[in-house]
Amino acid sequence: MDVAPLSIEIRPNCSLTVRGARLLFASACVMPFGMGGFLALKGFWPILPFAGLEMLLLAWALKVSLERRFHSQTITVTESNVSVESRQRLGTERVVFPRHWAQVKLRRPAASLHPSRLTIESHGRQCELGSFLTEEERRGLARRLARAIGRVNESPSWP
Amino acid sequence: MAEPHAHAAAHDDHDHKPHGWRRWVFATNHKDIGTMYLVLSCTMFFIGGIAAECIRLELFRPGLQFFDPQFFNSLTTMHGLIMIFGAIMPAFVGLANWMVPMQVGAPDMALPRLNNFSFWILPFAFTLLIGSFFVPGGAPAGGWTMYPPLILQTGAAFPMLIFSVHLMGMSSILGAINVIVTIMNMRAPGMTLLRMPLFVWSWLITAYLLIAVMPVLAGAVTMLLTDHFFGTTFFTAAGGGDPVMFQHIFWFFGHPEVYIMILPAFGIISEIIPTFSRKPLFGYEAMVYAVASIAFLSFIVWAHHMFTVGMPLAAQLFFMLSTMLIAIPTGVKVFNWTATMWKGSLSFEPPMLFALAFLFLFSIGGFSGLMLAMVPADYQYQDTYFVFAHFHYVLVTGALFSIIAAVYYWLPKWTGHMYDMKLGTWHFWLSAIFVNVLFFPQHFLGLAGMPRRIPDYAVQFTDWNMVSSIGAFGFGLSQLLFPYLIIKCIRAGRAAGNRAWEGAHGLEWELPSPPPFHSWTTPPSDAVIARGAAH
Ligand SMILES: [Cu+2]
Repeated sequence: MDVAPLSIEIRPNCSLTVRGARLLFASACVMPFGMGGFLALKGFWPILPFAGLEMLLLAWALKVSLERRFHSQTITVTESNVSVESRQRLGTERVVFPRHWAQVKLRRPAASLHPSRLTIESHGRQCELGSFLTEEERRGLARRLARAIGRVNESPSWP
Repeated sequence: MAEPHAHAAAHDDHDHKPHGWRRWVFATNHKDIGTMYLVLSCTMFFIGGIAAECIRLELFRPGLQFFDPQFFNSLTTMHGLIMIFGAIMPAFVGLANWMVPMQVGAPDMALPRLNNFSFWILPFAFTLLIGSFFVPGGAPAGGWTMYPPLILQTGAAFPMLIFSVHLMGMSSILGAINVIVTIMNMRAPGMTLLRMPLFVWSWLITAYLLIAVMPVLAGAVTMLLTDHFFGTTFFTAAGGGDPVMFQHIFWFFGHPEVYIMILPAFGIISEIIPTFSRKPLFGYEAMVYAVASIAFLSFIVWAHHMFTVGMPLAAQLFFMLSTMLIAIPTGVKVFNWTATMWKGSLSFEPPMLFALAFLFLFSIGGFSGLMLAMVPADYQYQDTYFVFAHFHYVLVTGALFSIIAAVYYWLPKWTGHMYDMKLGTWHFWLSAIFVNVLFFPQHFLGLAGMPRRIPDYAVQFTDWNMVSSIGAFGFGLSQLLFPYLIIKCIRAGRAAGNRAWEGAHGLEWELPSPPPFHSWTTPPSDAVIARGAAH
């Protein structure tokens, strides 16, 4: 019996658009540069460089966080394979596991306050899934995957 | 498919032990970092508290008993710096670290490594600051406001003071940037801005204020440094500089800084009162706008700290009136909290008790603030104990009480245990009574003319000083109950469940915390998964 391949795409949530980030940045600049500039005109210039440094840092932080929107992982379960395609802004990485040997593991965190880690493992290779999800989302995903992959694990049939 | 099979496949029983100190030094988890902030805050609170008790000990009787005046001034200066930058600020940042990701449905803070860095700056900053007690010339004694030219007379501690202020400011900026980016970019789908809990809102606005004013502080103390070591004359009249300008610049930072220490408190109180009134918050949007307008006003009131330096009459009027305007949004908040309780089904667990005390006592601080805002009256009150009484009502019964309330509110969430309610209630009553014994008489002392920052005083002030000191000893001792209660709660206690308080709402109460791995029995609904997992 043929089963259509199951494909799950997960991606981190990004609640800020690039436009929103620009607006946020511009509005954050108003006070430090306004006050820094005014005082510089009065001769008290050392405030301005600190304002500049700080805004550079904010810009960097926004940029790094917005990179999230390029991240995603696609898990495809076919009859013979489980493949995980992890995309970042620059480049894609693809790992393929033979389906019969693939194991879904939800690893308990080292400390009780830490998040769990979800992996697909086989033959000593492993691939982490959904590190950017919240705890419940990751557990939900683990359950779905375990179910999807587990179903085929029952399959070796008697001819 | 057999359920138990899937369960076994998904479950891994290999235990990885937490790796000792590395867990903390290289921490990137928001809960770990939040915990470290709170522990640091508690430590600094007791160190600053020891300074405070020494001050009250010296002031118990007129005359000089224990400390020489220079050391006394070091105590007051260090008490201020330690409490503001060491106790109150890190506590709020710690609470933000713990709660903001949970409340907006994010897996962690936006920039976990930056988060680690912003915490670990602080122990160095405070080692440097407290270390200044042991260098020639002693710790800084010119007051936490660091006014030149007096502060320029500090001995070897001077560069230590400036550098530690730089470090503390840097830590605050990094923390604020992280909070802003987390709130803006990491919210779960459906968590629109106007659905955010008020604690998150108040922190968003606080972070904005921090970013706006921290460069001003950094620049101001840098100019002190160059005036001292590199021959500049920014604040030296002899070289054409203007010492009063330092006060303007400092308070342009300082007044928003005061609100940085109280806006998150507003957020906390807005979470607690609805929970224990079992009613939704009255006027949510009005609360958001009130916080935003208080933040805006904080930029145009700074000179009320310096009415007596000599300013044009028009400027005095402007700053008096703009200051009084703040009473309007603050009044809206107090009204809304009261209206939330109206006809609610109230109960009085420790978080609610501290929140109620906040409501009453912070209002006293607000009213004395209005008195101080009046220019002609301020000429009398300036630099007296009345000012002390005012800002300690704002910062102790305001900011500190809100932090204690927050810990009592969220502790079951953090530890998974309920704490000793009876002990918490004792802690409340002892604190609430002694804090008034401590600070209320300072109003009388101030109105009678006792100046601030002095180790000795005229004999007619003796009685109220004794009362105040007794209050201080009582208040200090009763705070020891707090860490005891917390440690006891971490070790053991009745299981708290997800929703520790029946009236509590908000995302953080939906999650089991700490996550119980072995009770993973019900599959999360697809609705939960659909939030981020399935596209
Ligand atoms: Cu002010």
